[in-house]
Amino acid sequence: MTYVIAIVLGVAFGFSLNKAGLTKYHKVVNQFRLTDMAVLKFMMTALVVTMLGLYPLRALGIITFPAVPATYIVGNLAGGLLFGVGMALTGT
Amino acid sequence: MNWLMKQIRKEEWSPYAAGILLGIVGILTVVLAHALLSESGAIENLAAYIGKAISPSNIYFNYVMPAQITFPVVLLVGVFFGGMLGALSSGTFKFRTMDSEQWKKAFGKQTWKRWLLLFVGGIIVEFAAGIAGGCTSGLAISGGMLLAPAAFLFIAGMFASGIITALIIYGKKF
Repeated sequence: MTYVIAIVLGVAFGFSLNKAGLTKYHKVVNQFRLTDMAVLKFMMTALVVTMLGLYPLRALGIITFPAVPATYIVGNLAGGLLFGVGMALTGT
Repeated sequence: MNWLMKQIRKEEWSPYAAGILLGIVGILTVVLAHALLSESGAIENLAAYIGKAISPSNIYFNYVMPAQITFPVVLLVGVFFGGMLGALSSGTFKFRTMDSEQWKKAFGKQTWKRWLLLFVGGIIVEFAAGIAGGCTSGLAISGGMLLAPAAFLFIAGMFASGIITALIIYGKKF
């Protein structure tokens, strides 16, 4: 059952990425060249919508949050710095 | 209804509309599966099958990212078909060699150059996701929605170095 949910959610996820144009080289690279803000708009909209859904549901006691990604300052930051290099090189 | 179909068939949505769809997916992932939208972990789970064949006692591939079909692996399969569905819905589906007009203009026509950089960049991206504990979806978006400090450190790092890298490789064309 979990696998069925995962497949359906994955399809919707991939669909949204495709429609946002994030499958295209120029969309991702132009975000870093600051000439096209679509990636940031897309990510931040998703963040806000998810927060608007999840926090009320948790406040009502309907759901609990899964384990939050671990914070280890040097690792997160170093990983992010390296990740940006790869992302700007490949545009993916 | 016709209006809706016309909107769905558009090749490119407003990033806000696509973001709302992803946001809903994010909510449903937590509500239905009590999981997060992680992607890079899936590739590590798959890589673990090869990694364990080469080094059976490797701690990382035995305990941190074991070789098994996890939730993200199935999600990744879905993402593949979802992207395909998106392209089919707008009639832009085709087999391509990862080419891009902008890339050709900036770096030349050779496909092998693009592929080499994709391969090297791919290694960097996956290795970096391993260090940081997630990628754009699994850490930046999923962590961000749970207000994990890790996510915001990652986003800050990603944009800082991404902008600098783009500045270097594009030079005057930036």
